[in-house]
Amino acid sequence: MGLQGLWYTSLILSAISLAIMSWLIAARLVAERKGQRVAGERARLLALLLEPDADPQGLTNSSLSRPLLADLSVELIQLVRGEERDQMVAAAGRLGVAATIRKRLSARSPRVRVLAAESLAFFPDTESTAALERALGDRNPDVRLAAALGLAVSGRSPPARLLIERLRIGSSEQSMLIINLFQKIASDRPGEIESLITDPEMPAAVKAAAIDALAGSGDFRLVPVINQLALATDAESEHLPRYLRALGAFNHPAGAPAVRRWLNGSTWWVRAAAAEAAGRIGLEELAMPLADMLSDADWWVRFRAGEALVRLGNSGVELLAEAAEGASEPARSAARLTLAEQGIAA
Amino acid sequence: MTDWQPWVIAIAETIAWVVIGTGLVQTALYIVQLIFAGLSLAKRPPVSGSSLLWQRYGDRVPPIAILAPAFNEEVTIVESVNSLLALHYPDVEVIVINDGSSDDTLQQVISQFGLEPVDRYFDRTVAHAPIRGLYASPRIPALLVIDKENGGKSDALNAGINVARSPLFCSIDADSILESDALLRAVGPFVDNPDEVVAVGGTIRLANGCTVESGRVTEVRIPRNFLALVQIVEYLRAFLMARLALSRMQALTVISGAFGLFRRRVALEVGGYSHGTVGEDMELVVKLHRHMRDGNKPYRIEFIPDPVCWTEAPEDIRVLGRQRARWQRGSLETFARHRDMLFNPRYGRIGFLGFGQILIVDVLGPVIELLGYVLVPLLWAVGLLSIDYLLAYLAITFTFGIFVSVATLILEEVELRRFPRARDLAILTLVAIAENFGYRQISNFWRLRGLWQFLRKQQGWGQMTRRGFQRG
Repeated sequence: MGLQGLWYTSLILSAISLAIMSWLIAARLVAERKGQRVAGERARLLALLLEPDADPQGLTNSSLSRPLLADLSVELIQLVRGEERDQMVAAAGRLGVAATIRKRLSARSPRVRVLAAESLAFFPDTESTAALERALGDRNPDVRLAAALGLAVSGRSPPARLLIERLRIGSSEQSMLIINLFQKIASDRPGEIESLITDPEMPAAVKAAAIDALAGSGDFRLVPVINQLALATDAESEHLPRYLRALGAFNHPAGAPAVRRWLNGSTWWVRAAAAEAAGRIGLEELAMPLADMLSDADWWVRFRAGEALVRLGNSGVELLAEAAEGASEPARSAARLTLAEQGIAA
Repeated sequence: MTDWQPWVIAIAETIAWVVIGTGLVQTALYIVQLIFAGLSLAKRPPVSGSSLLWQRYGDRVPPIAILAPAFNEEVTIVESVNSLLALHYPDVEVIVINDGSSDDTLQQVISQFGLEPVDRYFDRTVAHAPIRGLYASPRIPALLVIDKENGGKSDALNAGINVARSPLFCSIDADSILESDALLRAVGPFVDNPDEVVAVGGTIRLANGCTVESGRVTEVRIPRNFLALVQIVEYLRAFLMARLALSRMQALTVISGAFGLFRRRVALEVGGYSHGTVGEDMELVVKLHRHMRDGNKPYRIEFIPDPVCWTEAPEDIRVLGRQRARWQRGSLETFARHRDMLFNPRYGRIGFLGFGQILIVDVLGPVIELLGYVLVPLLWAVGLLSIDYLLAYLAITFTFGIFVSVATLILEEVELRRFPRARDLAILTLVAIAENFGYRQISNFWRLRGLWQFLRKQQGWGQMTRRGFQRG
């Protein structure tokens, strides 16, 4: 392309962009007019939706009504809970809202499909369930995850192992929402998630998510399993702190061997997590090593050690008071300020 | 007409080719960015309402510390803190850093929120001016005030990073107005990819002309001031086109100081914000890239197109000129400090795309374009260049400029539709055309002034006068 070509190209591109923009402005003008109609229709539908004995005919009698009704219904369903939500969902189902949303699951835009999957979670009918199950095979990972969460929230989740395969959990899918997904499944079928932890074939990321999901379950049978897993994990693994935090959350002494072992971990994040777990479990026998950790080179480790000593009660506080009077920094500052922050006199 | 010697003509043509070539590379970069921005917008996650965002992320988001540096903000500090405390996020700590204000900023916040001096064990990894005291109240556990000696914005943010305990921190400007669900939106990439994402930026919009009530933008309107209007188009180009595209290419080199979400630990590892630069926001992002690449760690620095924050643009030409010169200086300071990254294969796409963009757009662009304004018409007038050169030069400086600006507006309208009225779009389209005739040239002059300040190693921010938001 010569110099003249450059000039003409720039003119053509500018003219095209201005033409498109003019068309968009015109389209916006039309939309503004339509917008007033939409706002009016929305207000009418809202009033009808809040009427318990609304006439379904009146709700869907214009071309605008169906998509608007679907959006409005989902908005309202999100706002209420319990019995009111159930009534609202039943009413929306009768008005064909679920069918409208199901159609959106095949829209071109992944944004629309994600929103549709999230909305369908409220509708327990078999067709919506089947639509969400189909969406587990969507080409977009966000849609797949939204569908899986939608099914799990309403107790309709397929087996966890199938979801791991479909969503590629542990390989391409790394979202923290997987923990929510496992938590939801575990609330109905805890054994399924527990089996992921003991399965040697499962990727470490899946095990870590399963452990996080079960950490608040209070099922102490899991503690020795997680303890063993933590002992066998590589010292620099990014999952190791999650195992240790889970042991802390279980608050059970069976987690002590792993916690004791990793107080001397080579990375700060492992030492900090181990210190936190020691405090949560209340492992008084680890008070001395924790006091030594007040001199750790990393601030997080010193902070967690101080916090853990406070949790240990009198024995820990005495060690803190001793360190606060000691000569060595940074242990002295760590101890003094930890006590001051907790409102405990040194 | 004079008969020029062939070698004189050859020199004139070489000059013209350098000017046109540089402009052409710049335009090509913009067009590539437009394509990538379009792709990114088409594939972005859904922009949901607050309740759906809460449903999606509410019980799985990491805690965030908002770092709000304040220097002589006695008039607005209470309203700003109130609006930060009212943000929709499950676990947030607001850390206000009084950077040695000489007015009543500290007293205002202490008395309004009933704060008392407290002790807190905090990190001292990054350097900053001494902290004089910490203030908090058991009634408002989410608020902590740091009172420190004056050291500038980056110094104040460093103090905030040290004191914060959340895994993520959000740095904002004193005059930033955050959308109520800004944190829920911006935290998305950290939830979706927790092992790799180290920083997230979001779109900053201009609040000039909008109505602000109780620290929230309640009505979006475009301003009447021409300079503010031009800046709306500029911000669209910067955020919607350049940053979104560079983020998609994983070559983003700047996250605005008005709003940025960072992984605290990694920010500490790079020494926090740098002192002695006015481009501390860009410097931090480049340091993050360097650190992660040097350590061969997988990482991502993301940009989300969702509007997260509103800020005030200068409407006075002198203030705007100073701001632009300062931005240019900041960009050049970072470029100079990290020049070894340019085209260095060790830094991959950051070295080639990120730093290549800075070289073309910030370092060479303004100088060569301003040189072109003088030389190309002059050489054509004296008969050393044919009309084709002049037309090509006009294409580079004017018509391609119009295309890029209008195309960005098209992207905005097709994908986001954030301007409420058709009339606004029409006005912005006219502004996108008009800015190329006069404003663009002045803007280049400001950037040249920034270059001059950089070469003279001038420091400091210069006076920044705020007009204040239009209150409802």
